[in-house]
Amino acid sequence: MSEALIRHEPVSDAPFVAEGVCISLAPPMQRHALRARNAEDLEGLLKVKIPRKIGASHGGIMCLGPDEWYFRSEVGTAIPTGEGLPVAITDISERSICLIVEGPRASEILMAGCPLDLDQFAVGQATRTIYETVEIIVMRAAEDRFHVEVWRSFSAWLWMAMTMAARH
Amino acid sequence: MILIHCPYCDEKRPEIEFANAGQAHIARPLDPSGQSDADWETYLFIRANPRGRHHERWRHIHGCGRFFNAVRDTVTDKFETTYKAGEPRR
Repeated sequence: MSEALIRHEPVSDAPFVAEGVCISLAPPMQRHALRARNAEDLEGLLKVKIPRKIGASHGGIMCLGPDEWYFRSEVGTAIPTGEGLPVAITDISERSICLIVEGPRASEILMAGCPLDLDQFAVGQATRTIYETVEIIVMRAAEDRFHVEVWRSFSAWLWMAMTMAARH
Repeated sequence: MILIHCPYCDEKRPEIEFANAGQAHIARPLDPSGQSDADWETYLFIRANPRGRHHERWRHIHGCGRFFNAVRDTVTDKFETTYKAGEPRR
């Protein structure tokens, strides 16, 4: 006798729309933290190209640090565990949610709380940074669309802060 | 806002992404139990605290997550240089 698990999201399911910007919750996805001294070990295991430069992203894998990557994939994708290899692959799917900020004012809304100059951010570039006091991972998915990965427990506050910035 | 050059990211990033981690180049004694109390106290607690040029450890905590070393002037708060952990003192 099992009851269906109901997904409870910490922020609104309905997108927030204001002048020149739309903030919405991305559908659930798999997230993995990849750690390895040699990116070749991960490439051989996952059979994908791993970006080497910090800030670069390729095929859902963002390079966050010299030995750290953030891998997002569709729910149900089989990810090997890397047992026996000098790598660490950790499932962190439910640690964070993704907010999609899009529209001509997207970078302006993010720069209201993030000290980086996101207008200089290239499409596909990704980095861990900070929004006011909350740690986020920001990725420029398109010219006017950013993905913001934030820990679940911080997301209600971030939603409030970004929608407030968007109202101004 | 001060911009700090992260030697791993190889770009200047806002200071709010960084955390100070105390004086740099303090090696842990290889044989702690062989230390006298005075030596151990020196290792644990006694720091240079100079007025001027100071070697410090910093961590790009809200970025690549790496520790690195920096030379900062404690009077002007200007960063002279930053370099990767493990590299010789500058």
